Amino acid sequence: MAKIGVDVGGTFTDLILETEVEGESRVYVHKVPSTPEDQSKGVLKGINEICRMGSVAPPDVKLVVHGTTIATNITLEHTGAEVGMLTTRGFRDILHIARHKRPHNFSMQFDVPWQSKPLVKRRNRIPISERLLPPSGNVDTALAEDEVREAAALFQARGIEAVVIAFLFSFLNNAHERRAKEIIQETLPDAYVCCSSEVVDVIREYERFSTTAMNAYVGPKTAYYLRNLERSLKQEGFDTPLRIMQSNGGIGTVDTCSEKAVTILTSGPAGGVIGGRWAGALSGIDNIITVDIGGTSADISTIPGGEIKIKNPRDTYVGDYPVLAPMIDLTTIGAGGGSIAYIDEGGAFRVGPRSAGADPGPVCYAKGGTEPTVTDAQVVLGRLDADKLLGGELAADRDLAGKAIEDKIAKPLGLSVEEAALGIIKIINNNMALAIRVNSVARGLDPRNFALMPFGGAGPLHGVALARVVSAKEVIVPPAPGITAAVGLLVTDMQYEFTRSVLTVLNAADQKALDNINVQVEKLEQLCRERLQADGVSPEKHRFVRIAECRYQGQGFELRAEMPNGPLTLENKDVVMENFHQQHQQDYGYAFEGSLVEIVTLRVVGVAEVKSLEWPKLAATDSAGIEDAYLFSRPTTFDDGQTLDAPRYARGKLRAGDEVTGPAIIIQHNSTTLVPPDSTARVHESGNLHISV
Amino acid sequence: MSIKEVDPITLQVIGGAFDTIAQEMGHVLYRMSFSSIIRESQDLGAGLFDANFNTLCESDSTPLHIGSIPGYLRGIQESLQGGEWNEGDIVIHNHPYYGASHSPDIAVVIPIFWKGELVGFSANTAHHVDIGSATPGLIIDIPDVFAEGMLFAGIKLYEKGKRNEAIWQFLGYNSRMPKQLQDDIEAQIASTKLGARRFIELIESYGKDTVMAASNQLMDYSERILRSRIAEIPDGEYYAEGFLDDDGRNRDKRLPIKVCVRIKGDSVEVDLTGSADQVPTGFNVPFEGSTKVACYFAFRALLLDTATSDEYVPQNEGSFRPINVIAPKGSIFNPKFPAAAEARFTQCNRVIDLIVKALSPVLPERVTAGNSASLSFVAYSGIRPSGDYWVFLEVNEGAYGGRLRSDGPDSIDNLMCNTRNNPIEDLGMHLPMICDRYELRDDVMPGAGKYRGGIGVVKAQRLLTDGSITHENERHLDTPWGAFGGKPGAVGKVEVYNTLEDRGVKQLPAKFSGVQVKAGDVMAFYAPCGGGFGNPLERSPEQLREDVLDGFCTREHARQAYGVVLTDDEEIDDMATADLREKMRQKVA
Repeated sequence: MAKIGVDVGGTFTDLILETEVEGESRVYVHKVPSTPEDQSKGVLKGINEICRMGSVAPPDVKLVVHGTTIATNITLEHTGAEVGMLTTRGFRDILHIARHKRPHNFSMQFDVPWQSKPLVKRRNRIPISERLLPPSGNVDTALAEDEVREAAALFQARGIEAVVIAFLFSFLNNAHERRAKEIIQETLPDAYVCCSSEVVDVIREYERFSTTAMNAYVGPKTAYYLRNLERSLKQEGFDTPLRIMQSNGGIGTVDTCSEKAVTILTSGPAGGVIGGRWAGALSGIDNIITVDIGGTSADISTIPGGEIKIKNPRDTYVGDYPVLAPMIDLTTIGAGGGSIAYIDEGGAFRVGPRSAGADPGPVCYAKGGTEPTVTDAQVVLGRLDADKLLGGELAADRDLAGKAIEDKIAKPLGLSVEEAALGIIKIINNNMALAIRVNSVARGLDPRNFALMPFGGAGPLHGVALARVVSAKEVIVPPAPGITAAVGLLVTDMQYEFTRSVLTVLNAADQKALDNINVQVEKLEQLCRERLQADGVSPEKHRFVRIAECRYQGQGFELRAEMPNGPLTLENKDVVMENFHQQHQQDYGYAFEGSLVEIVTLRVVGVAEVKSLEWPKLAATDSAGIEDAYLFSRPTTFDDGQTLDAPRYARGKLRAGDEVTGPAIIIQHNSTTLVPPDSTARVHESGNLHISV
Repeated sequence: MSIKEVDPITLQVIGGAFDTIAQEMGHVLYRMSFSSIIRESQDLGAGLFDANFNTLCESDSTPLHIGSIPGYLRGIQESLQGGEWNEGDIVIHNHPYYGASHSPDIAVVIPIFWKGELVGFSANTAHHVDIGSATPGLIIDIPDVFAEGMLFAGIKLYEKGKRNEAIWQFLGYNSRMPKQLQDDIEAQIASTKLGARRFIELIESYGKDTVMAASNQLMDYSERILRSRIAEIPDGEYYAEGFLDDDGRNRDKRLPIKVCVRIKGDSVEVDLTGSADQVPTGFNVPFEGSTKVACYFAFRALLLDTATSDEYVPQNEGSFRPINVIAPKGSIFNPKFPAAAEARFTQCNRVIDLIVKALSPVLPERVTAGNSASLSFVAYSGIRPSGDYWVFLEVNEGAYGGRLRSDGPDSIDNLMCNTRNNPIEDLGMHLPMICDRYELRDDVMPGAGKYRGGIGVVKAQRLLTDGSITHENERHLDTPWGAFGGKPGAVGKVEVYNTLEDRGVKQLPAKFSGVQVKAGDVMAFYAPCGGGFGNPLERSPEQLREDVLDGFCTREHARQAYGVVLTDDEEIDDMATADLREKMRQKVA
């Protein structure tokens, strides 16, 4: 039996294969170039190749989990479906007006993406007579079914392939939305049709409508891609379920992710966070800050006590569009190996967010790049060996890198080349450190209680420096930093979430109001249960997390409060309020203890654990210590400006219990770990490197 | 202050930290607060200031608060309770004749001490929904500043760490929304405490001298960039003028605004001499806290446009230094005590729009055609069955004029305003109001041009119980201008009608105070539309066809204003279009 994780990135598609033969587990990793024109080509090629590496026949593969950028790319490239929309008469332009806030405070020439590149063109937003009244949801004006039919005919004539139905107050009563959907489907049986109350059943019209429109915009292509990949796998003999990584870090099926394509918009970086949590657990560490550094950006997430944090729904955006789909609380910044260093017109020394990307790439790649990057600085400082990049597959030109830094940075600022290169590293590290603070300190989490886990190809070069700036406890470099995101695919749970708005003031709630909440929670659990059962998960494995998203009455932003087990009663409703007060205190440093607490939205997360990946343990060190891992020594410049002759060690030859004292550099195929002076790296039997800071 | 030069690398590090602190302060304030004007509209400002009241950093919440807090700090210095700052003090202040932007914007200020020395201030301002003014929420037709409500000058909410319960109790008895007022002040305190803590952490990491030297260099940096942009503009005097509808009481008296922009090398002077005298209502503009801020905004938006430049220019005192503002004492932009000066926003936006117009001949690539340059600020209120007041403040959006390379954005906050609307559904669930219509205006067309003006909004709000409405608004008479051959936009309007009985549609002036309304009354606000940019005959027929399909332009308007003729099946009639456009060109010639 075998399981495969396949994670598609901008440049490479990373794969991991776990096999189990006679109770013994083995792990294989592999990389193939990504195929942006059709991701599934690279995915299939990689799967076939890694199966050959592990001598696995297609029928033996029992699970394929996929992290994909397909939905994200549709939004970036604006290649989504032509969408039609039915909406309440008088409110045709909710998507056009959005929250009427400009994307720029100080600008006259700004673009408004939701107006210039709308998810639904105005001509296809058709107002329909219908009206529900708050707060009851009673019908004030009946649905004009003839208008819906006319709209359906118009959409048909225009060749529209996706339709959204988004009426005001449908979170109180979705009868009009459901009826309109039926009518649309009569005329357009093959269209991708979704109601706002189905996609995200919560209050606030713009965010709900926009999420639904986004779902329809990315849905048809995403569904086509996923179903096509599943079919192709079958054709090649892989008769296995295909599972997809969702933005919340749980995996879903092809059907559910096709229906709610908005749930996989940040599928890509989610795998890294899950992989980071898994790697920390290998060493028994559950307070982790993950820092996934690639060529153009870094993704940062804080994991307190092994719990992945989910973003506040008010903060989940894709580009400039709000998307109310649960997403891991990641902070992404434009800082990576390819980030460009430059002097701006006011004389300030800046690094990023502009990146040299893969083409032309850093100057040292000699592919025509002229602007110095972070990678160039690392090469100049001797931290990346020009002849050893990607295991020697890529030769770098140190002189070109030095010349670029000299011309563009050092001379204009009156610095030496070395000082300028150190400055590049310091500035980019600081940018990342600020982002780490945004994701931890600003969320009430103190980095001093966390281990910092750097991964991605470039991560482990920056780990110790970052940990020092943010005062993290230690650095843990996972066993295979370059494929941590792919590992995450094989170690996460099945997970589905459903929400419903039930505006209720808890202090004043009587048993009847609580019963209403209990009924809604049970309905949401039932929805989760159906999904998990459809995935073949037996009921005893289902686990439910129930969350009340609360605010003090009158506030506009909710925070999560966990609900007690069992139904809410007059006795235990205080637990929810107390949990909310505590969360408020943690996030904002203050709680309005005496104020009314209002539940806005109920959220139920249905989870089923998946058997985790078994990573082979390292053998214990012997008397020879780290000698056989020694490669060579070269002059290397560290952050304090010292240039020391630093030994290089091959990571693959280090054993459990080995200690590498800085200054040193630990090299593996696609990642380099910097151990500065005053730090020591200890090799854990799990394969993790623990570095003191 | 140390004179040591901070290296460029540390400078970036400290600059980034300042920026993050200001954003964090703003974030906590709007997430925690209760009134929609703070939490959704983000009508707030937050930042750190040095001991000489220079802005070190400011949150990116809404531009209308930029650069206003130093005025408060100077006003507090003059009026401070007990005359000195102590560790553990928290001060509230909103007196418009002691530096406040306007009285509803209450500042909360914490002095920051390090090793016993006053090193700076953590402060924020937020617009409070009701401070006990003459009419609920907003005020226009009032006699003097004392009708604006509670005025605080240098009052200590906490003195050396001890809470001044008398002031809290006083707040509780002098607002129509006492709990909201008190809780929002608590949110402000949480935000300033956070800022103070972060400032100390920064000093502990890098040392006081380095932090202070870095902040000076960051101010110099912002100043240097702005000066270099000003220097690119040819020296000279640039004029523009417009007028305001009225002062909210004397309906037939127009109020001129005259703007002269004087460019001298790398400095600029905005001279408002010749604008209207101060008015007898609350429709005056506090000079320090609002008039100057409007001018700072104009140059930042024009010359440091974040959409056309990658560089982040820190928001600090340096960007104000090259700008000098003149408004004669006793004028609408610099009123004398005790004139009321609460309803000041639309005048500020009009000054900015006229600065844009004045500079348009020399900055065609940076300006817009005429903007809505108004603001619709509405206070709805009533009494709940419980006997308590409810007051709701709403900011309605405007529209932009066309630009050299793009249409003016539609239905979006304009110029110094950048708030968020309140979700219609949230409103309907919590207040005795319901929104009947919220979409683009279709009763008028925006200014035609190669790039058209933005389309204004129509928002119709119905009250379900009797109540009262005050509206701070402008621009029912002075149409947004067209630029470089573009056509003027459209003025706004306000209508009131009742849905329960037919009493006809009543047109109201743009601004009105405490109008009593009945259950079922609807106030429909129509925002002005932006002016066009460039000759409409240069807009492509293909684009007009798209516009007509999307309903941004009627077929009739496409023909009359653009000379584009569409067939019945909405294809371009090439021959008819060519003929008509030729005739229109000849007519102009």
